[in-house]
Amino acid sequence: MSLPVGASGLSTQQVEDKLVVSIGPQHPGAGHFRFTITVDGDTIVDVLPDPGYVHRGAEKQTEYRNYIQSIPLLERSSLTDVTNIIGPFSLAAEELMGIQAPPRAQYLRMIMSENQRIISHLYWLGIQGIFLGHSTMFMWPLGDRDIFIDLGQMIGGARITYSYWIPGGVRNDMPEVFKERALKVFDYFEKRLQDYERIFFANPLFLKRAQGVGILKRQEAIALGAVGPVLRASDVKSDTRIDEPYCFYKDIDFEVPSFKDCDTYARCMVHLVEMRQSMRIIRQCLDKIPEGPVKVKLSPQQRTLPGESYARVEAARGAMAFHIISDGSTKPYRVKISVPSFRNLIVLKKLLIGSHVADMPAIYWSLDYWPVEADR
Amino acid sequence: MSLVKGTFKALYAAIRQLPKKRMTMRYPFVQTQLPGYYVYDPKLGVARPGYKGRHILWLDKCTGCQLCSIACENISQAIEMVKVNRAQPNNKKSIFPQVDYAKCVFCGFCVDACPFYALGMTEDFNLVATSKKDLVYSPEKLAIPPKVVRPKVELKIEKDVAFHD
Repeated sequence: MSLPVGASGLSTQQVEDKLVVSIGPQHPGAGHFRFTITVDGDTIVDVLPDPGYVHRGAEKQTEYRNYIQSIPLLERSSLTDVTNIIGPFSLAAEELMGIQAPPRAQYLRMIMSENQRIISHLYWLGIQGIFLGHSTMFMWPLGDRDIFIDLGQMIGGARITYSYWIPGGVRNDMPEVFKERALKVFDYFEKRLQDYERIFFANPLFLKRAQGVGILKRQEAIALGAVGPVLRASDVKSDTRIDEPYCFYKDIDFEVPSFKDCDTYARCMVHLVEMRQSMRIIRQCLDKIPEGPVKVKLSPQQRTLPGESYARVEAARGAMAFHIISDGSTKPYRVKISVPSFRNLIVLKKLLIGSHVADMPAIYWSLDYWPVEADR
Repeated sequence: MSLVKGTFKALYAAIRQLPKKRMTMRYPFVQTQLPGYYVYDPKLGVARPGYKGRHILWLDKCTGCQLCSIACENISQAIEMVKVNRAQPNNKKSIFPQVDYAKCVFCGFCVDACPFYALGMTEDFNLVATSKKDLVYSPEKLAIPPKVVRPKVELKIEKDVAFHD
């Protein structure tokens, strides 16, 4: 097997001593994804990411379905973050149909979107915990994630794939008991996050594994086109919710975290702060939500105007964008999905070269790479 | 923070959880409390929030218009219209939807497509079967409301503990 050996400051004479290790696609953490690393002793000298194991052609399949029928399909690409992958699709489709969702629907979209962000981040946190050998940090977030899944279920009617955003609004209003329950859950979870900090984020064993590991400098992050928590951890305050506000994010007061450390620890802390901010956003949304309809009634075979549209939202892993070209029929002519996972994959190559093999799981999962979403 | 102090703080955070009640639900003996049926109101154009589980078919309202089957066409092809031996004035062809739960994705767009209040989704999620044939629910089977098989419990949340009784 001949693999290119990257420049890493090591002399080329050592090529014969190097070992090529294949990680995945059966690796429990890597999911449906493989990467080949070349190691020199304990140091990684080359990385070859190999995505594409779960490519299902979601973009092509969308061309054979009308706008409503595409929703259950697109959700399957990003199961931890379903609301935010159909979000930009619905926004782009609405632009083509020349309609706008009613204000109450937009607030409900924000509530579901932020709830989904917490669910996704908790799942990420659980796996990051078990990757670092901290099994308590696997049990706690996945247990608490269920509480937020229950919240999503109250509105969406399913545990994970609720197909809630649709072009023209949302499918149903929230039940009356939701507000009371949500506030109770947030009070509980804010206390819980303090426990998380004590047991994991301030744990010296975690700090030793994470601080100064996998440094992605500000300039490199911008040059490589990183998005989402990875970019924010590299001291760039970039967030689609602030830069190009959709729904009613411009009326909501929240902070975008950014850290100067640029390492794995900073990428973990971004997730922790974002969970707090998401709860803050939902609290404000529940106060501000106006009365009114939640949906514009559309025909199931709704035709669109011919043209192009582009919509972007801040998903849990970063900016998620859809570019739809329509020829005026009931089905899109072409759909292009820009997913955050795929854009962060190139960062993996940059970070792993020169690091130790033992640091690989911590660095890999701190990028929150989701193979199914990246391959789409 | 020093290594010793930090380690003890982390240990203390874990030890504090020991006397608290258990969050895990003992599933086969009890099951979770779910919101009611997911039904769609075609006059208002919105659905009522509820759990999207197994379907329920109100046979007397179904006209055999096939809109649910058409809605499912490019999603999972789970709904097939079948002939049922049943005299019904509003359903001249006597065709009713039959759902294959080996294919259904529980998106509920069939419920949203029904203009006659004939289709809904129940909170029954327990669809375990020993063969694929058992997962095909005939219209008569869909018309039976789900039975309560085990006691239901709710997740209780207090100050800093979430637990199932």
